[in-house]
Formats: sequence, structure tokens, C-alpha cells
Amino acid sequence: MVKKPKDYKEDFLHQGFDANRTDYSQRGYHLEVALNVNQVRKFAQTAYDLGFYIVFVAGLHVRPDEGQDKENSGLEVVYQFARYDQLYRIKARVSAPKSLELPTISDIYQGADWHERETRDLYGVVFDGHPNMKPLLLAEEDPDFHPLLKEEEKLKFLAEVSWPSAVPEVAKKEAEPETGR
Amino acid sequence: MLESEYQEHNRFFLNMGPQHPSTHGVLLIVLEMEGEYVLDPQPVLGFIHRMHEKMGESRPCQNFMPNTARMDYVCALPYNHGYVSLIERKAEIEVPKRAEYIRVITSELNRIASHLLWLGAYLLDLGAFTPILYGFDDREHILDILESITGSRLTYCYYRFGGVYQDIDDTFIAATRAFVKRLRKRYSIYEKLVTKNIIFIKRTENVGIVSPDMALRYGMTGPNLRGSGIAYDVRKNEPYSVYPEFDFEIPVGEQGDCLDRYMVRVKEIEQSLRIIEQALDRLPDGPIRAKVPKNIKLTPGDCNFAVEAARGELSYYLVGDGTSTPYRLKVRVPSYSNLSCLPELGRGILLPDLVSILGSFDLVIPEIDR
Amino acid sequence: MGEENKRSQITPDLDAYAAHLKSESCQPVIEQGREYGEGPLLRMKLADTIMKLCQANSLWPMTFGIACCAIEMMGTGMARFDISRYGSEVFRPSPRQSDLMIVAGTVNKKLAPVLLTLYEQMPSPKWVIALGNCAISGGPFKVKENYNIIEGADKLIPVDVYVPGCPPRPEGLIEGILKVQEKITGIRHPIPQNRHPKSPLKKVKGLRVK
Repeated sequence: MVKKPKDYKEDFLHQGFDANRTDYSQRGYHLEVALNVNQVRKFAQTAYDLGFYIVFVAGLHVRPDEGQDKENSGLEVVYQFARYDQLYRIKARVSAPKSLELPTISDIYQGADWHERETRDLYGVVFDGHPNMKPLLLAEEDPDFHPLLKEEEKLKFLAEVSWPSAVPEVAKKEAEPETGR
Repeated sequence: MLESEYQEHNRFFLNMGPQHPSTHGVLLIVLEMEGEYVLDPQPVLGFIHRMHEKMGESRPCQNFMPNTARMDYVCALPYNHGYVSLIERKAEIEVPKRAEYIRVITSELNRIASHLLWLGAYLLDLGAFTPILYGFDDREHILDILESITGSRLTYCYYRFGGVYQDIDDTFIAATRAFVKRLRKRYSIYEKLVTKNIIFIKRTENVGIVSPDMALRYGMTGPNLRGSGIAYDVRKNEPYSVYPEFDFEIPVGEQGDCLDRYMVRVKEIEQSLRIIEQALDRLPDGPIRAKVPKNIKLTPGDCNFAVEAARGELSYYLVGDGTSTPYRLKVRVPSYSNLSCLPELGRGILLPDLVSILGSFDLVIPEIDR
Repeated sequence: MGEENKRSQITPDLDAYAAHLKSESCQPVIEQGREYGEGPLLRMKLADTIMKLCQANSLWPMTFGIACCAIEMMGTGMARFDISRYGSEVFRPSPRQSDLMIVAGTVNKKLAPVLLTLYEQMPSPKWVIALGNCAISGGPFKVKENYNIIEGADKLIPVDVYVPGCPPRPEGLIEGILKVQEKITGIRHPIPQNRHPKSPLKKVKGLRVK
């Protein structure tokens, strides 16, 4: 029953995704992928074909970078996938555009259906093509209340909440950690 | 023409919950029914949404510990375990061996307590009142044992960053060994009363069959997945704490119906007892808590930690920003993914079968709503 | 993004919501007297005493277990703590057949109308026990960033007995029921009850159990 553990980085690089291997004992996942808005569905299809299951879809609210805040809303969505037969975790991150619309993956992974509804409830990111974008956890009377959005003074740049060696290409200015928070 | 009109008249909507006599919690399922058949079950959540993730972002990481126990209160210690291990991984804290062993023993005791409660509650849903009394009786023994070192009966906050809060003593070890012996003698009662009961078998066999592909698309984990034949357990697949040192098996079902899920959980009780025995035999001496700074600074970056709770894989995802307050704390609970397959699984089944399926999924609604 | 962060405008005002629910639906019941609804036409002292004795010794709780305290409520009904020796023989899921509502758990904004509907469906006379810190005042969830929790069941319905704890022990719930009996009849233990049995683990030397 002991299979030789396989590294899936090549399968993802092959499809054109920006995948990087990470230190598992430090971070708890093996592969980190930075996605574009139009790569999301292809990524989900690749993961499904390779046999990964969906762990979660979560939101993250950061301050959009200077000069980029015309295209970036500051909302990020994090996907995590894992395998049943071998220990391999993948974390994928995508920035939501200003219109807060992302394509849905709920026709490939039906489990993402509820995760996406919850992300809409808590953050306001709308998923295009989702069959049922109604509130899941919050009351139906307040569809515009998004509790996990942070207040202006508590927002931080993405570079300040990422590992130092993996500063994404988008942040052109240098990461200046703001101390004293 | 007449037949379709007749069929239209037979359709109605039925509200199952949010207050109903099953003990899963406040869950509303809107059922579109035709006669006795359920056409489309749609769960409605949010009745116990207690904003745990918001509280995780608003307070220092030490203060989040009581929240972890209140998410899944039936099996609170693995939730504690996941959270302290996450912070220990982030802040690179080394835990002494004795503390790890104590954590494993108490987590496994809690897992047995959770399965016993599930067994009683499931049979109560199916209409049998006796097994819950036996299950709770055995569970009270565990609660007494755990109360003597943790101080609480239900929502434990026993683990701390770097170890545990209080050491175990000889009376704890004697009581645990006595309990292990006692529970092994009680298996025959449960077998005769439940497992070999023809009514129970008829209500659970071939009901609610979950295929492995369906489990993958929904992200199901835990005994629900193992009932379908996939041997995925975080304790074996992604070992944490001192689980690699113990010798235990992963029980697996074949078909994926309710009876398989039931048998998997019953066999897991025995495997947990084996782990407890081995841990008690090899319990080392030493400190129970590492020296940890009072204010733990979480370095910038994200971190993930997965443990095996009684219901499946529990994942904590933390984004740190340099202070001691997490920037984002996401808790991925197993029952969330397990319940989300209900609309697909429950199409066209009888209403009593739906009750049987819900019970066999072992849901705890406050953890779904967090 | 700045416009969307005006939290004070969109954070729901929970006290106002609770007051709004209470005003529309609960007013008739509270005004006309707590225990007897509209009140009987004829009152005789002996009949009253006998009726109250009977009611106190046969309080049938409704299962409204919401969260963690529900497990302790179930544990109270089981063989070790046995609530049926105090008269609560059966836990009725239907509000029409019960007279004691045990609010065991946190009341949410989404759950508040459900709680009120169930309370109104219960026939008078009825009593309410708020079990656990969440039902008393919001408990561990009464925090600055609260956006969802109604801080206490008594913002919605009138409560008779408060049982503190997180979760309270089953003995606490039994004490709560005895307090309700005392409230109804004026005497504690209207009919002498059984003593609490010793724990099976007492035989293990040194283990601290009752």
C-alpha cells in the first residue's frame, strides 16, 4: 500500500500556473499557487482531474497596493486542496477585481457551493455562475452586511501578511512593516 | 393531463426544524415533498452563527482558546489540539513528550465520548430509547475522569501553548485503565442491542449510499468518507503529535451506506482504546509545559494545521501579521462539507430515510455555523 | 472601499431588533399577568393550592436545546441525574404539550423570531428557565465586535429562573427546576424527592467526585 510520494508541482507548471514549492513544516502546505481571475476554473478542473478534494474557500481582506487600487479591491480568495491517498496540500490565492466578481467552481466541485456562499456573506465577493447566491450564515434581511471586512485603520498590505520570501509580483513597492499595531 | 394535476396537488413544503427532537442542533431543512418522498432537501443554516472567526481576529491568540471548545462541544479537545498545534507550528515552540502523550490520551477519551453520544442520539432518532441511556452512562465515566484534571465536563480548555495546563496523577491513570477494561466488557451489550437488531439493520442498510467520487467533490472526511471505502485519516496520512508511535488501524466500510458509517465509528472506539492503552504504558516523565513567552508574536505569513476530530478533518488556517492578534483565522470544520452533500444525496428518498442519513452523518450544527 | 466600511450604519442594532420583536408579538401576554394568561373567572384558595402543587410537580420541559447547554440538559434527563424524579418525566418537542421552556444556548438574530413563535405557541401557564451564560446575558459572546447575538433571552421573553454556568452542571439545572417549583408553590420540595446517588467512580481512591 506504500506508494512513492509524488510531487505535483510539475503537473501544475505544465498547465501554466505560477506554482511554488513551500516548506511544509513551516507552513502546513506543499504548493503555493498565485492565480489570475481567468485561471480559476482551469485550476479547479486540473485539481479535480488529478484527484484532489476541496478543503476550503476563504476570503481575506487586505489593503490594495498603491497605484493598483484601481484594479484591485483588496479582497483575496484563498482555495485549499488536498489528497486522500498521499499527504499533499495546495494553497491557491486569487485577487478579486474591483467589481468583486470571480468565476465559480461549484459545477466542478459541488462542495465549493456553500464555501462560496459563505465568502459572499462575510466578504461580499460574488461568484459568477453560482446557482444560489443567497445568504447562508447571516440573516436574509441584511444581504449587504459583510462582517469580516476590516476597518480602514486595521487594514494591512498583502506584503505585510505574507512570508518574506514570497512577496507577490503585484507589490512593486517594498514591504515596510508597520510596527506598533 | 389528469395525472400530472394529481401529482401537483400532492406536493407541499415541509419545515424540518429549527427546533426538532433530534439532538443535532438548530438546523432547518426545507423539504419539498411529494407524499412521503422528499424531492429536494435544502438545508438553511445560520441559526447559531456565533462569529468565531470575527472573534479570532479581534483578540490576542491566547484569548481564542474558549472559542475552540465551543465550536464543537461534544468533542472539544481535538479542537483545542488543532489550535495550540497551529500556534506552536507558527511560533516554532517545542512541546515536551509527556505533554504530547497526555494530549493524545485525553483527545482519544474525548473521541470515545463523542462516538458514544452519537450512537445514543442516532438510535434516538430512529426511535429506540434504550441505547442512549447506556451510551450516556459510559460517557459519564469519561466525563468524571476528564473533570478531575481539566475542571470542566463539556467545554474543555485544557491545552496551552507548549503543553497542557495541569499534570495527570495516579488516580487518573488508574481510573482510565479501569474504564478501558469496563468498556471492553460492554461491547456485547451494544452488539446484542443495536448491531444485531433486525429493525436497525433494515433501517440503515442500503440507505444513503455515498460514492467515493461524490465524497471527493464535496470534500467529505472522517467516518463518512471511511464508510465509502477510502482509508483517509489525518492521524495516519498527515501525522501530528506522537501518533506515529502508536499501532492502530483505520476501519473502512465497503458500500458507503448508513450501516457502514455506523460500523466504522463503533470500530473506531476500539482503536481509540488501543491507543490509550499504548500511551498509558509508555507515558514518559518530564515537564508538561514548555517555556513560552507571555505574548506570542505571530510572524507575517500564513500557516495551516489539520487534525482528526471525531467528525473528520479539522483545519485551522491562520494569517499572521507580526502582532499577537491573528490577521485572519479560518476554521474549516468537517461537518460543513459533510452536510453540503445532502441536496444531492437526499433527492427522491423517503422521509424516514432522510432522518436516518442525517443521524449517520454525525452533525454538530454549531460547528457548521461557527 | 471606504464607503463600504461605514460599519456604524450597517451593523445591526440588536437591542432595537429585540425590542421590536418583543413589542409586536409579546405585549398581550406580558400585560395580562405572567402566570395565568387571562386569569380564571373564579379563584378559590384550596383549588389554587392544589393546582399549583400539581403544576409544580409535573413540569414538562420543551426541548429547545440550541448549543452546548443542550448536552447538559440531555445529560440531566439521563440515568445518572434523572430529571424525571422531579416530575419532568418527558421532554416534549412540541410546544403545545409543554409548560416549561428551557432556553439552553445562544440566541441569535436569526433565531429570535423562532424563539418568540415557540414561546407564543406554548399555552399558559408557562415558565422559562434561562440555562447557561449565553441565555442570561450573551455569555462569552457578549463582546465589542458582536453583530449577531441577542444578549440574553430576557430581551425577548420573560424569564423566571437564571442558571449560570458555561455550561452549568446538571445539578445546576436540577436546582433551577427546584427554584421554579418554589416560585410556583412557595415551598421548596413540594413533595419530598429522592436523594442524589453516589458516583460509580467513588470506588477509585482519591478521585474527587461527589
